[in-house]
Amino acid sequence: MNIKYAMIVLKKELKDTFRDKKTIFSSIVIPILIFPIMAFALGFATNDMINDDMKPIDIVLISSGEVKLEAFLRETGQVNIVNTDDPDKALEDLTIRAIVKVEEGFDNKIESGAMGNVEVIYDQSSQKSDMGTSRLNNIIEAYSQAITNERLDALGIDLETLRAVSITSTSVSKEGGIGLMIFSMVFPMLITIYSAISGLATATDLGAGEKERQTLEPLLTTQASRLSILTGKLFTVFISGVIGTTASLVGFFIASKLNPDFLGTGVSLPLTPILVIGLFCAGLNLIFSGLELTISFYARNFKEAQTYLAPLSVILLIPAYMTMYLDGKAVPEVYFHIPIINTIAIIKEALVQIIDPVHIIIVLGWTIVYIVGSLLLTVGMFKKESVIFRA
Amino acid sequence: MIQVKNLTKNYKEVEAVKEISFRVERGTVFGLLGENGAGKTTTLRMLATMIKPTSGTVIIDGLDLIKEPDNVRGKIGILFGGDTGLYDRLTARENIEYFGLLNGMSKADISKRVEELSMKLDMEEYIDRRVGKFSKGMKQKVSIARSIIHNPKIMLLDEPTTGLDVTSVRIVHEFILNQKKEGKTIIFSSHSMSEVEKLCDIVGIINKGRLIEISTLEGLKEKFSGNNLEDIFVELVGEKSEH
Repeated sequence: MNIKYAMIVLKKELKDTFRDKKTIFSSIVIPILIFPIMAFALGFATNDMINDDMKPIDIVLISSGEVKLEAFLRETGQVNIVNTDDPDKALEDLTIRAIVKVEEGFDNKIESGAMGNVEVIYDQSSQKSDMGTSRLNNIIEAYSQAITNERLDALGIDLETLRAVSITSTSVSKEGGIGLMIFSMVFPMLITIYSAISGLATATDLGAGEKERQTLEPLLTTQASRLSILTGKLFTVFISGVIGTTASLVGFFIASKLNPDFLGTGVSLPLTPILVIGLFCAGLNLIFSGLELTISFYARNFKEAQTYLAPLSVILLIPAYMTMYLDGKAVPEVYFHIPIINTIAIIKEALVQIIDPVHIIIVLGWTIVYIVGSLLLTVGMFKKESVIFRA
Repeated sequence: MIQVKNLTKNYKEVEAVKEISFRVERGTVFGLLGENGAGKTTTLRMLATMIKPTSGTVIIDGLDLIKEPDNVRGKIGILFGGDTGLYDRLTARENIEYFGLLNGMSKADISKRVEELSMKLDMEEYIDRRVGKFSKGMKQKVSIARSIIHNPKIMLLDEPTTGLDVTSVRIVHEFILNQKKEGKTIIFSSHSMSEVEKLCDIVGIINKGRLIEISTLEGLKEKFSGNNLEDIFVELVGEKSEH
């Protein structure tokens, strides 16, 4: 391989790639915008839910003149009792959140120290009905607790003296807490997917696009060897991937600033974990650059390449979701040996500031093996006449 | 000079090119005439070192294609197919420069040669514009300039006028005749009889991978009792196909 020719190819491909408005849009603009848009949409939906949670719960109360519970509910100001001829229809239309049926003789049972029965009918398939009913149950539970306290008082017993266990919870987490937990669930998944697929558009253009434009044949008859040409192209895909991943990270942090509840906050990492994350993301990027370029060269044209490459991002979702709930402080050893999952595992560890040299060496070793495998596959395919001139 | 020796190419069980041999002297245009799928492109791809022959070899300007493919590539220029094969987002100059650099030329030499070709092919007006919006004729000129930026001694042209309009075909024809005048060795494949008659000194007729006839145009007409090239071609190919 001649480095001079590889550099000529790299420079030309970068210039050509970043003159393409479509590539700039899909590799830089969309990754920067997607997370802020998601954060905005999520914030909008959350606000709607919070507003709904602040309003009194609309219910229909069905009773045969029982007034005690009704009086309590009205007194709280958190329940709005609606009159309607058809409560079932109202619940179906979600103009009310639940129907409360108070049994006949409920007031007498409460008076006499017996247990009164209340039935709450709601729609579990509706988030609004489900959440409203949850609040409603707490209010009815509070009523029950108040009656219980009165009964205990009448017997001269203090409720506190009946408690057997008192629980106090203290988190040992150094920083971040719940924010870090959510962040370490979502961030490794996103950065892994982006590292792997950010070079897709470029790979499609540099392999199948070259065939479709019929520029590949003149290129193969220059003095540059196939390996030099391939090296230049591979590093173009890699650099595009790194730029795409960086753009998505920029978008991610803009989103966190716009909506602090978005995907967890309060995470500030020292330099070493950041470098570890960067190193392994770059490794993954290089592996996938090779694979994407191989598939792209195998395809006859641009459209075929897009069809072959599209499932790649779906396949990546499997390890990404498999490890979403993986705890960075308790990663099973076997995970460090499984492709892609080992990169996610090492990122999860880095996020909770665990820098384990043994784990790093294991994953680095595997990453080097995958890179070599990916490069050999790419070189092999690029040298194959049946692939390059596939009719 | 090109000397093709028993060149064969097999794709699994299919024999695409079967032991063809011919010789093309300096300053000669050799026309490879055949139907679609006869083996013209495969032959030219082997000559251009894009694919490896199954057996046989080619001596190009004293270099063995099997032993020195990298050096052979420095001596050839190609113009393949009707499509110009240019990078739309690069300017005409950048397209040409790229291939100059990949053929080992210095930036100064490329710059001088681009100016020269730009004048020769009348491209000065648009040499620094991106080729994406060029007309077919303009693109064809850039494509021609790209193929000869490194001043190759050998030109391989695979159906270079396919799909082109009349003006672009004329540009290619003029280019071939000029290259011949400059003493270049040219192999030109086509399935157009009139084109071969207009441009070629020697004609090789290829059918089902075999070179079934090699002769000058006059020689062919003499051998086949003064018929025109089309009749000779049909007679030869039809005759062989029946066997």
